[in-house]
Amino acid sequence: MNLGEIIFLITVVATLGGAAMAVLSGSIVYALLGLVAAMFGIAGLYIFLNSPFLSMMQILIYVGAVSVLIAFAIMLIGPLYRKPKEWTTVGKFVAALGVALVSLFTFVRFVMETFGDTLPQGVPLAESPSFKITTKEIGRLFFNDLVLPFELISLLVVVAILGAIMLALFSRGNK
Amino acid sequence: MTDLLYNYQHIYLFVALFLLFCGIAGVVYRRTLIGMLVSMELIMNGAGLNLAALNRFVSPENGYGMAFTLIIMGIAAAESAIALGIIMLIFKKYRHIEGGDLKEMKD
Repeated sequence: MNLGEIIFLITVVATLGGAAMAVLSGSIVYALLGLVAAMFGIAGLYIFLNSPFLSMMQILIYVGAVSVLIAFAIMLIGPLYRKPKEWTTVGKFVAALGVALVSLFTFVRFVMETFGDTLPQGVPLAESPSFKITTKEIGRLFFNDLVLPFELISLLVVVAILGAIMLALFSRGNK
Repeated sequence: MTDLLYNYQHIYLFVALFLLFCGIAGVVYRRTLIGMLVSMELIMNGAGLNLAALNRFVSPENGYGMAFTLIIMGIAAAESAIALGIIMLIFKKYRHIEGGDLKEMKD
């Protein structure tokens, strides 16, 4: 096991532990910290997938924007610590676990049936063709083949900004 | 050099699957709306990782999966902005953000 594999294992463990912490921790601030840890771990996994541009975008958008937005919402909403009963009843926990496990087993079965024949020997490796999708290729793709989804994303972001502004204005008018 | 650990496809797929698992469990289990939103972000992250891994290992000759991962990031940012605006409104109106107590969504 060389250094790259050790770093890969650390990244995977950070992702899994962050995701578990985001769901299971009692405080909402710790849940946000777990989410940030999971996002950093996924950024590292993107680097291992030979796509550093995706990794940088992950850190910029998720860690930089979305988690700061959630942190501001937590600060604005205020004293959540007066109701520390984030651990609710046992029945709800069992129900959540059941729903999630059903979906998990379904998709594990799906993954094993789709890619299971290549699991033991691990054939589809980086061996096959060399992977050379650079940032330039992604940019060309966005401006040649994926022009319509790109424009639709920009439209969606504009509509989301307008919607957020309208929500804020309406709440101020009602008071 | 074929048996390096990070060259196996199913590790990425199972990590994405665990993120989906945690997200679904969190959406059902969390009480506050912000907790549910954090779990939704986990699901989005899992979807992006899944697309990037499949692009890397199944069709490495083009970059559609990475492009759609970027599109997923944009959708997730817009969705979280709108959801936090709605959560702010709910907090101003009801003075709490408990998901189970929101029985009336009318004026």
